[in-house]
Amino acid sequence: MADRPRLIVDAARACVVTDLGRTAGPARGLAVNGALDQFAARTANALAGNPPTDPLLEATGFGLTFRPTHDVLVAVTGAPAVPSIDGRPHPAWSPLSVRAGQTVHVGVSDAGLRAYVAVHGGFAVPRLLGSVAPDTMIGFGTEAVAGIELPLLRSHPPLVNPVFGTTVFHFGLPREPRVPTVLDVLDGPDAREFGTALEMLFTSRYSVTPRINHVGLRVAGPVPQRPVSGEVLSRGVPVGAIEAPAGDELLVLLRGRGITAGYPVLAVLTSAAQDVAGQLRPGQRIRFRRTTAAAATATHLERRRLLDRIAARAQSAFAAHVRTPVTKGR
Amino acid sequence: MTGIRTAAKLDVSPCGDAAVRITVDGAHAEEVWGTVHHLARRLNHGEVPGVLSAVPTYDAILVEFDPCETTVDTVMFHLLSWEAPDVLEPLPSRVLDVPVLFGGAEGPDLEWVAGVAGLPVHRVVELVCGTEYLIRCLGGPAASAMTDGPELGVPVPRLATPRLRVPPGAVSLAGRQAVLGPVAAPSGWRQIGRTPLAVLRTDTDAVVPYRPGDRLRFSAIDETAYARLRGEPMRHRADG
Repeated sequence: MADRPRLIVDAARACVVTDLGRTAGPARGLAVNGALDQFAARTANALAGNPPTDPLLEATGFGLTFRPTHDVLVAVTGAPAVPSIDGRPHPAWSPLSVRAGQTVHVGVSDAGLRAYVAVHGGFAVPRLLGSVAPDTMIGFGTEAVAGIELPLLRSHPPLVNPVFGTTVFHFGLPREPRVPTVLDVLDGPDAREFGTALEMLFTSRYSVTPRINHVGLRVAGPVPQRPVSGEVLSRGVPVGAIEAPAGDELLVLLRGRGITAGYPVLAVLTSAAQDVAGQLRPGQRIRFRRTTAAAATATHLERRRLLDRIAARAQSAFAAHVRTPVTKGR
Repeated sequence: MTGIRTAAKLDVSPCGDAAVRITVDGAHAEEVWGTVHHLARRLNHGEVPGVLSAVPTYDAILVEFDPCETTVDTVMFHLLSWEAPDVLEPLPSRVLDVPVLFGGAEGPDLEWVAGVAGLPVHRVVELVCGTEYLIRCLGGPAASAMTDGPELGVPVPRLATPRLRVPPGAVSLAGRQAVLGPVAAPSGWRQIGRTPLAVLRTDTDAVVPYRPGDRLRFSAIDETAYARLRGEPMRHRADG
């Protein structure tokens, strides 16, 4: 359809269409992949009035410029610089109305590595096992490159008076100016193999190397060694696993990791710390802090409740502002 | 008694706040493997709400769950409450023919492996091609078919320094395992050959034509056949 709403990408680098991940993948041998900062991705969709699993853009390290062909509602989260619409600054972590043809620029601030852009209604791009998440290992995914036109499922009338252009929403989201540099971890399933050498992980400082991608990141610093090493049987390896290969770097596995490995797992990042890891930049100094399963779960539940509140507030705000009701096309 | 048969017990190792490794402890490797895949299949059929996925391997299952919907204790409660069948229903098993060009550029470690095993090269190829290999699990990266290794008599040491890129279709050995890798990836395993068939497709949710429980039947081909078969899709034997 010629007048189907589209997002025209004018400039982009290292930007993809993703979602929360291919949860059906691991059972079929594929990595889950998906947004590395899950909280930011979920928040972007909540602020745009979308279900949490809707496709959205993930921009890594570089900015992004786009124009919608129709009026749309967007939300920018993660580590964005101040987004602009036709050159005028607008707040991140808030719903933004964009008129047809207006140019939106989203930069990535030095507070983190990844920015997320959700558009109300989401993107209509190919799925594999129910997910649009790119998997570089198997060559699947939709990259947002300059010149591409990404089909949108819906347009959205403006939420605010375009003459005044005021943003009427305030969601009270905590916006930490900097990504924390302390990552909470739980002892891994193979922690015992390392004996007292494991303590090194919690007393040392580590430096993020430039070797960062969806599979994982390498951090330089003292590497605990286990006294015994033998033949290893492949086993499933969790997202967030910290492995200690030979050498002077730890491997922190992220959502694109191969689902099995033969290396022992000394510790595992909490879900919240995985989001932090997704925002780390090369050269940052970090340390790992041991926490408890109960504390990690409590944090996880608290963050999800916050997301539920954001989603509910966004829905009621839209209902009050939109001239035509927000209807779901599905 | 209810639950897992007396020969096996379950060890629980938390893997962060959203995953747990469940290891099946038992005297018989075949029974352990069967139990692992039986439990994983039930988990992947959605029998425990909040479980996102179960990754079965040889003796363990990695269970990933949403901490907002369930807990490790709840998952374990379900697993332990499941009646163990007297006889495990075998996994559906289909045969996939895998033509392989052994040695040379496509199997750079074949001679080295033969040396480690103290066997002539042709004997290693005969051993690999002489039997069907049960797919024990799908592994990383990208749904690799992991099987037991050929009967070489000795475990195969890994490369000290992994190769940065092993091509798609590589057939490799390490320890007492063998693997068919569908995509190009770094690997520390010993590559003995390569199939010309296209193993993985991204235009179908099946992705790869095999599941754990299926069997691979390797056969040696020459360079002419390799060139002719290049890019043909891999199929089950029943597909013709």
